Amino acid sequence: MNFELIGVLIRLRYKLLWANTRTRNGKIALFFAGYLLLVMVIALLAAGGTGAGMAAIRSGHGTQLAGALLTGIFVQGLLASVILGFGMAAIFSDTELRRYPLRAPERRVTRHFLGIADPFWILFFVLDLGIAFGLYLFGAGAFWYGLLAVLLLFVCNYIAARVLGMLVQRLTSQKFGSMLMLAMIMCVGMLPAMLQPVFKKNPALWEGVKRVWQITPPAAAGVAMTHIDFSALLALGAIVLWTAALLAFLVVLERRPPKAAVVYATKVVWSDRMDRLGAIFGPRLGPLVANWLRFYWRNNRFRTIYPLALPLAAFMLYIFSRQDAKHSPFGGPLQAAFAVFGIIGFIGTGQFAVNQFGYVGGGFRRFLLLPTDTAAAFRAGSYMFVSMSGVLILPAAVLWAVFAPIPSSAQMLAMLVGCSVMSLFLFHGVALWTSILGARRGTYKQALGNDLSLAGNVVVLGGTLAWIFVPQLAIRTDSTGLLLSYWWVTPLLAAAALVFYIVSLRFTTSLFRARREELMALMEGKG
Amino acid sequence: MDAPTAAIRMTGLAKRYGSVTAVENLSLEVKPGRIFGFLGPNGSGKSTTIGCLTGILDPTAGEIEILGQRFDADNVAIKRRIGVMPETLGLFDPLYAHEFLAFVARIFGLDEATTRKRVTELLDALELTEPGKTLAEYSTGMRKRVAFAAAMVHSPEILFLDEPFESIDPAGVALMKQWLRRFTEQGRTVFMTTHVLETVERVCHDVAIITKPGKLVWQGDVSVLANDGKLHFNGQEFDALEPLFLHLTGEKYKDLDWL
Repeated sequence: MNFELIGVLIRLRYKLLWANTRTRNGKIALFFAGYLLLVMVIALLAAGGTGAGMAAIRSGHGTQLAGALLTGIFVQGLLASVILGFGMAAIFSDTELRRYPLRAPERRVTRHFLGIADPFWILFFVLDLGIAFGLYLFGAGAFWYGLLAVLLLFVCNYIAARVLGMLVQRLTSQKFGSMLMLAMIMCVGMLPAMLQPVFKKNPALWEGVKRVWQITPPAAAGVAMTHIDFSALLALGAIVLWTAALLAFLVVLERRPPKAAVVYATKVVWSDRMDRLGAIFGPRLGPLVANWLRFYWRNNRFRTIYPLALPLAAFMLYIFSRQDAKHSPFGGPLQAAFAVFGIIGFIGTGQFAVNQFGYVGGGFRRFLLLPTDTAAAFRAGSYMFVSMSGVLILPAAVLWAVFAPIPSSAQMLAMLVGCSVMSLFLFHGVALWTSILGARRGTYKQALGNDLSLAGNVVVLGGTLAWIFVPQLAIRTDSTGLLLSYWWVTPLLAAAALVFYIVSLRFTTSLFRARREELMALMEGKG
Repeated sequence: MDAPTAAIRMTGLAKRYGSVTAVENLSLEVKPGRIFGFLGPNGSGKSTTIGCLTGILDPTAGEIEILGQRFDADNVAIKRRIGVMPETLGLFDPLYAHEFLAFVARIFGLDEATTRKRVTELLDALELTEPGKTLAEYSTGMRKRVAFAAAMVHSPEILFLDEPFESIDPAGVALMKQWLRRFTEQGRTVFMTTHVLETVERVCHDVAIITKPGKLVWQGDVSVLANDGKLHFNGQEFDALEPLFLHLTGEKYKDLDWL
């Protein structure tokens, strides 16, 4: 094994990370990452790490509580890695590593050393270590068993994330796979609430689940951290077995790359529905809008998120309004509908609208060569996103009118539609600014993960959270009648949001012209 | 109105990125109906100059005149009359070749019938007829052909080609050269950059050579070489473009004892 070269490559990976900080965006990201890391390490060592370990011992259920905490961290590691894409960035692919004098097993080891040395995983390592340290401080278990358990669990967590990531990648590369994936995520989200009454009625089932859980790596690590007898060794053996099994599965998956289910077009189609939809915007902007529509409609992530926007909104409304008015933080179904109708205004296109050019790569240059005014493509892209989000509002209103848990009226519909339209223009107005000032080069083919800039994330996550919390805080009444007497407020706010969008469009058009060279360099990977 | 004497004219063109100068006080003229080779070593500012000439970049100083009109990034009328094959090709990867070319043709104002006819003919001539492959799945040479077709589809009066022949197979290059010759016979102009000096000698009428940072060091007619003529610089004679280029840009001889 060429460990010297592997070491050189790991150092190079960190050098590349450091090199990113030479850019302005990199410096900002570094500052926030450093700040967050510091805060998180302090907070997590105290509340989730050592402090939690101490609390586990104090509670008298050290083993179980430690297992539960470690399971939480393990699952968070998996979800953050697979769904949000943190810590999964393969700096060097196998093909890239072939240029170095490394044999196939060495290349595999190098890739995974690089993966596990990601700062993201180190954070999880610190969390696990904190718990082990807390448990040891309060006299449960042996220090070396604890440390060994942490190391093994850390490796196991990484390998499990890689296996899950590869399985997800295989699923999403299939037709409708991405939609199936998101549907599964939603089901998993609903599962605890659905299973709770089942377990209450059938305690034997719950005991069975607990028995299965006890042989999982985090629960086994909990045992190893709190015991000094043979059971600790058995628990460590269980983690080793899990790790070996997952590693074998990973090797099998890596040796059999997924076959992409690509449907090849066999005939030339000159005018499709994209062109017909684009034509609505007239002969000048029509081809540009159609081009944007076609470009994003072939994007796996867009095709996953957009069709699921309405079902997701319905799911959110179900979750938000299923508690009775007394216990619901929203106060009633109409207040919950405010939140959901607000989110509908951008949920389908939000993460693309805030980084409009993020996936065009070298195509950005083409926009500047076209015989249109410089920012025409920029405006056309925004119109496309506004239209795509806008068309979701009407079916949402119809669905509300038909299935609303409270009697619907024209005022109520006007109020909710006004809410959506306000959100639509407000969000897409802000997105115009972030597309220029917070642009980031993304990976077109990636189906999951997060490749937005800090500004993009703040706008998308902030927008969603704002719509969830503002109605809870701002609407201080549970009287539907009183709310409906102010039905005209949201259409007025929608008109104001439209003005904001138009003004933003005007200013950002000039800004785009001024910053187009920087954006081009960024999209072409030179910035 | 008289036809302009120069298809392209730049006066005192400069492009600076902060303290870095990419092009410095560049002035030259390209006559109509000529194939103009724009040469220089790597990083000498060729692509930056093309960027300024096509509206992608804003010059820091200087003036550009194209087809007798002052040109800047907002001159849509002139943009309609030029075709550009940029260095990075400027393709939208998820699109099929015909979709991309039809998009460009429509934006350039071609009617639907002409769009379909020209795109079909271009795809056929450039052998881009592999069904069902998106541009992302094309080879480098095929992508280059698509970018070339996109520059030609609206039948422009001036073609700007940045490294047009690299990665394209000999048959493709021969076809492109033939088209370029026919193009200039009709009084239209080609402005191209390349590093293949033999190609320049065979294809180009005029050549300009620049050195870092975008400074013009030589401009002249290279078609004389076809009739055993010579190129002149500072009283020296050169019987090919390569020795002149090396003389102007600095020959490098460095022995590596381990090689």
